[in-house]
This record gives sequence, structure tokens and C-alpha cells, in this order.
Amino acid sequence: MDEEDFSASSSKQYYPYYPHPQPHPSATGTTTTTPTSIHHAFETSEFSTFSPARDLTFDFSGKWATDILLETATAIADRNSGRFQQLMWMLNELSSPYGDTDQKLGSYFLQALFNRMTDSGERCYRTLASVSEKTCSFETTRKMVLKFQEVSPWTTFGHVACNGAIMEAFEGESKLHIIDISSTYCTQWPTLLESLATRTDETPHLKLTTIVATKNGGAPGSITSGTAASVQDIMKEIGNRMEKFARLMGVPFKFNVIHHGGDLCELDLSKLDIKEDEALAINCVGTLHSIRAVDNRRDMMISNFKKLQPRIITVVEEEADLDVGVDGMEFVKGFQECLRWFRVYFEALDESFARTSNERLMLERAAGRA
Amino acid sequence: TTSVAAAAVSSIPRQNLENRCINLERNELSDWVEQVTKKLIDDLPAQNTDTDDHHSRTLQAPADIPMLCEDSFPPSLLGDFRPRKTVTSSDFDELQWSNVNGGNDRGLSRLDEQGLSLITLLLECAVAISIDNLGEAHRMLLELTQMASPYALSCAERVVAYFAKAMSSRVINSWLGICSPLINYKTVHCAFQAFNNVSPFIKFAHFTSNQAILEAFHRRDRVHIIDLDIMQGLQWPALFHILATRMEGPPHVTMTGMGSSMELLTETGKQLSNFAKRLGMSFEFHPIAKKFGEIDITMVRLRRGETLAIHWLQHSLYDATGPDWKTMRLMEQLGPRILTLVEQDLSHGGSFLDRFVGSLHYYSTMFDSLGAYLAADDPNRHHIEHCLLYREINNILAIGGPARSGEDKMKQWRSELAARNSFVQVPMSSNSMAQAQLILNMFPPAHGYRLVQGDGTLRLGWKDTSLFTASAWTSHISR
Repeated sequence: MDEEDFSASSSKQYYPYYPHPQPHPSATGTTTTTPTSIHHAFETSEFSTFSPARDLTFDFSGKWATDILLETATAIADRNSGRFQQLMWMLNELSSPYGDTDQKLGSYFLQALFNRMTDSGERCYRTLASVSEKTCSFETTRKMVLKFQEVSPWTTFGHVACNGAIMEAFEGESKLHIIDISSTYCTQWPTLLESLATRTDETPHLKLTTIVATKNGGAPGSITSGTAASVQDIMKEIGNRMEKFARLMGVPFKFNVIHHGGDLCELDLSKLDIKEDEALAINCVGTLHSIRAVDNRRDMMISNFKKLQPRIITVVEEEADLDVGVDGMEFVKGFQECLRWFRVYFEALDESFARTSNERLMLERAAGRA
Repeated sequence: TTSVAAAAVSSIPRQNLENRCINLERNELSDWVEQVTKKLIDDLPAQNTDTDDHHSRTLQAPADIPMLCEDSFPPSLLGDFRPRKTVTSSDFDELQWSNVNGGNDRGLSRLDEQGLSLITLLLECAVAISIDNLGEAHRMLLELTQMASPYALSCAERVVAYFAKAMSSRVINSWLGICSPLINYKTVHCAFQAFNNVSPFIKFAHFTSNQAILEAFHRRDRVHIIDLDIMQGLQWPALFHILATRMEGPPHVTMTGMGSSMELLTETGKQLSNFAKRLGMSFEFHPIAKKFGEIDITMVRLRRGETLAIHWLQHSLYDATGPDWKTMRLMEQLGPRILTLVEQDLSHGGSFLDRFVGSLHYYSTMFDSLGAYLAADDPNRHHIEHCLLYREINNILAIGGPARSGEDKMKQWRSELAARNSFVQVPMSSNSMAQAQLILNMFPPAHGYRLVQGDGTLRLGWKDTSLFTASAWTSHISR
């Protein structure tokens, strides 16, 4: 990519991109304003006559989104506002949430970066989450999750592996209790219920306690990004269906839901209603990563688990550490990891779904919020 | 008396309202949009506490959009259209997942309330942008972009999705202070070709223009055609064929093709040369990778004795010609025997809100026309909507406009040409009309497309809205 001369654009006033307003050395003769409120961030800049398109020969083939996004992250870390501007402009022109994978990545990351730079991340997240909640019903969520499982092994892979391990651990037991901390709306369990029903010996009694953590920052396609009320409704419906299904299968079944606000490590174990004679399994799909790796929280969680003395603990997690550092190189590294992860996710979705799938769009939007 | 009036107002028809809404079953959301936008704009000065003079300047309902309905909505009715903050799940399910038989996608069998409330929110957002309230606009856009899907069954929702995206783009480039476009011409040309295959508008433009050019070239041996934005040159093989097989034998043809990239122009030139060779017609191609309004006359290799035709198929994908006044001046200097012009019935000038309302009407109609022909999940349709129509919407809303480019665009070229002494209109002949009719017969929902001849022009539109107008002109100083 060509290095442009930005002197034409540097004559306009810069807006508060950074929390520390320092005039950048390469921006000659500018005044930077101190950031006071988010409102200022949305003012229109005066349009420069700078026209970057003229001399730019851009290669549209290949994975351009990754290149541009990484450069943008680096520009942020280096506080190079001129470069940042140019790159954001390119992203804005090229990306679209309705195009190919690179265009989608560009679009969602552009929004995220924009929010970061205008300090409006929290507010935007809340708006997005509340809107999506209003437009999502039990039916649409169910359709999305089931379609996803139908076209892609992304979630079912973990389910099948865990169920297998759990069945083995429960061999010969007659009273079973599963503590389920997952993001997949209990879609894992019907298959397990079937296996239990077709076991050669007497069908055991199963108690399923699902813990739903209502906290921000859920993984793609997960429960945890909703608010308490909507999740409660969904879980209630799910509970009804599970109980019906179990009756059909002839498996004695009890279903409990615990809605837990706040961090998972602070879970009150006594609420779990675990009886002495029960064989216990703990199943965690896509939820443990929400416990931040600070203050010994993860240690606490593990020791909590230990106290319960389960026969088996099954964990399914994404191969990604999406913790983005605050500044500098840490930010860039974290950003890179995010990029890698979401690219993989989007590409998988693209492969599996039809071009014009609304279900896929829902999943992408959930990822966008994340 | 006031209470009587109030009673009269409130008794108006929920009925009346529903009658209008039912039209939407047949995807005529464009009509509804027109009425609502006018009402919304008229409502505005009362609502806003900000600078009133600023508003009165910008908030004139565009005069050239024909009002189909004489009644005006009382404000209370419009209130019913405020976006409902909670869309109940049953409504959404019904709308989102209703069963429609594949093939003939006639939209939804019930009121498209979701679509209507989205459009209302979209309009409010446009108003926010027009008064530079970007923060508020951004918030509304977050909602819109989560709620509207471009894969929806409803054309209204699709249009909203793309318009919302264009406005988000605008918010960001306003914040950045850069508004130049960055275009992937290959993708655009590809989508253009796809559009050409499913919709008659481009062929209409090509064939009617070709006919006018053919007539102007009658008994001329040396001809020169300047195409202001040749793209892949889809238009010309048909003309070459007729020229090559005409009674008096083929002329020597020189073509000056203009466009954005020399690479693409060279490719086009090669294709056309090969074709001409196969026809046994003598042909020369001169590519100019610049905008017509940015070159001077010396760059055009016009020879003595050549009969000149200038052809311009206007589009909104990007600025193909540069400053309008320079374009006009060069045309006058060149003095062509025929100038064929195909315009979109859409104004590129005026304030943001004017352009917004105009383009919402225009593109709603476009989307309707595609929706009548192609299924909702047709990837080809998506390709066209995303890579072509959306490109135009984005260009109009996020890039264009005098405040940004610093220049004023002419509202309508044929009016400009008519007003000047340098050009005289050449009425489109009955042969051109015949050509147009033939093309329409190639496209299935022929009943939806409307061809109108009048004022010497030919207009093609969908239902009651004209979308493209073809006209021809000759220069006073032509040879």
C-alpha cells in the first residue's frame, strides 16, 4: 500500500480519538480538542479535499480485511491518527455486513473500532442487545440454533463428545444429576436422554440443573448476551419441552433452571440441590471463558467444582483467548487473536449456510455484538 | 366545531389506512413511502426546537414526485406509524417466517407492519442526519441495522437494510472527514451484467440509443462514437452488427471508450475489436482512462469528415464524468451529430433530505421490480441488490452531494440541454419505440413495466414510476 502524504488533511481539526489528547508529531499545525463527552465525538469533520482514491491501486483479491484491520490496530497502538484515518476510510468503503467474509469482518470490526474510538462501546452494546432481544423470539432463536446444528458440526461436535464421556462416567448409576453451564439452549440433552432410555439396564433417574448466567460478553450464538426477562421466558419454554421429551422417552426426569447474575465463580453451591446418593456430572459448554483470569476467580471456580465431588467434568471451549489488552502491543496481539477467531467463525458459517440465509445473519450479528 | 372536526378526524379510517396498506401486498411500498415522507417532512418544523430557518430551507417536499393521492393524512394517523418499541414475537414470526410459495414472490399476505415501522424509523434517521445530529442518527442506525435484513421476503425491509447501511457509512465518513469512494470496478461491472440479464432497463437504454445513433449515421462512411462510460461495452456489438449488414455497407468505425481503469478499457477494446473483425467491419478503439469532464478536446482523436455520436448512459454507481458544467462545455465544443442520453429519473442535486427521499422512492421501485421476478433467496438477486443497487444508494447518500464534493450537479440533463441554444432535441423515432417494445416482451412480468412515449422521449418504469428516460439531441454545429 502506498504511503500517502497526509499534509492536506492535517490542516483540519482532529477529534478526540484517544483518551490522552496529545498532538501527534506528524500532524503539523493542528489543534486537538480535549474530549469532554461522547457527543463531541459525533460531530462532522470539515471535509478535506484529500482524495486518497486517486493514487491507490488496491488489490481486492485475497484476505484484505485481515491486512487492513491489523494495520489499523497497529496504527491505534502507535497513535498514528493520519494512518488510522486512511485505513478506517478504506474499511468503511469496502466493507458490508452482507457481502463476502472479508467484507463482513471489515464491517463488524469497523463498527467495533468506531465504538472504541468514540468511547461509545458500552452504550452501543446495550442498544444492540436490547434491539436483538426485541426482534428475537423463542421461535426464531430455536430456528437459528437448530439450523446451525443442522448445517454445521460447530456445536454438535462438543455435545457428542461430552455426552459420550458422561455416559461412560455414569455407567451403572441409577440416580444421575447433571449440572449444565452451557450456551447452547439444552440442545445437547435430547440425545443423552435417548441414550439413557436405550441403556440395557434399568433406566436411571435424571435430574438436570441448568445454570444460565446473565452477564454481558457472551460467546457467539449464546444465551448470555440477553437480559434476564427474555432468557427466563426462553428457558421456561425449553424446560417444558425437555420434560415432555423425557416423558416420551420414558426417562424419569427433573428439570431446574438457575438464573445467575454476575460472575460464575460466585455461584452459590447450596442452591444446586445436590443429593448424597446422586452421581454428579458437571458440563460446561462455551461458558467458562466468561470467568476472567484475574483475582484467582478461575481457581475459585475449580475449587467449587472440587467441593461438589463430581464423577466427571466436561468442558468445551473455543480455541481462542479473546482478551484484548488496554493499549499498545497487547492490544494489537489481542486484536489479532480476535480477528483470527472471528474469521474462522465467519468462514465456517459461510461454508455451511446458503448465501441468503437469515439464520446465518442472526449468528453473525450475535458475533458482531460480541 | 372543533370537537366535530376532531371527531371527523379520528373517524377517518383506520379503514382508509388499511386500504393503503393492503397495496403493499403487491409491493407498492414506493407509493406509500412517498405519502409518508411528505407528511413527515411537513410535520417537522413543529417538532424540532433547533434552528428553524435551516429547516425551512431544506424541507421542501420534492416537487417533481407526482402525488398519487389527493388526501392528506391527519397527523394522528401518522402517529400510528411511529415505530412500536416492542414488536411482539408473534408479529415477527408471522412476517419473518410466513410461507410464501416459491417462484412468484408476491410478498406477504398480511399487513407488512414491520416494514412500515422500519421505514418510519429510517426517515427519522435521515432527518437527524440532515440536521447533523449524528449521535442520534447513529443510535437509530444501530437499531435499524439489527432489525432489517437484506434477505427478507419484504422488499421494504431489504430497502431499509441497505439504506441504513449507507447511512452508517455516511456517519463514519462524516466523522473521518473523508468521503471519496473506493470502488471495485470488476465487481460492479459483473453485477451490472447480471442486472442486464434479469431486468429490461439496460437493454432498453442500449437499444433505443443504438436506434437513434443508427439513424444519425444514415449514409455516413466514417463514424465516431464516444461512450462516456463504456464499462464492458455490452451495448455495442448489437449496433456493430446492424452497421456491418446495412444496405450501403459498413462504415469505418472509431470508438473512444472512457472509463476508470486503463486495464479494463483495454480489455473491452480488445473484445470489441475482435467482434468487429469477425463482422468484417473496419474498427479503431481509443481508450481514455479519465472522466469526460476532465479532459480537453485535444484528447479526442476526432478526424475531419467523421460523423460523431456521443453516448451517455447515466448511473449512480460513481461519478463517471466529473464536473457537469465542463461536461456540457466539451459536448458543445465537439458538436456531435447525435447525443444519446439515458437518464435515471432521480435527482443528484439538492440537499441530503431531498436526495434521500428521491432515492428512497426510486430504489423502492427498483427493488419491487426485482422482487416481482426473482425469488427471495435467489443468490443472483442478492448479488444485484448488494453489488449494484446498494452501491448506487451508498454513492448517493454517503458520497454525493454538494456539501461534500463541493460542486453542484445538474438536476436533469434534458432540461439543461433544452434550455441551451447549442442543442436541439431529436425525437425518438417509432423504430426506437418498436425496439423498446420488443425488449419488454422478453421480460416476464411485462405487465409491471410501463413504457411511455412523450415529449420526444421514451421512458421505462415500473408500475407508475418512471425509472429511466431516453432522449436524443443534435448539436447546432454538427456536421
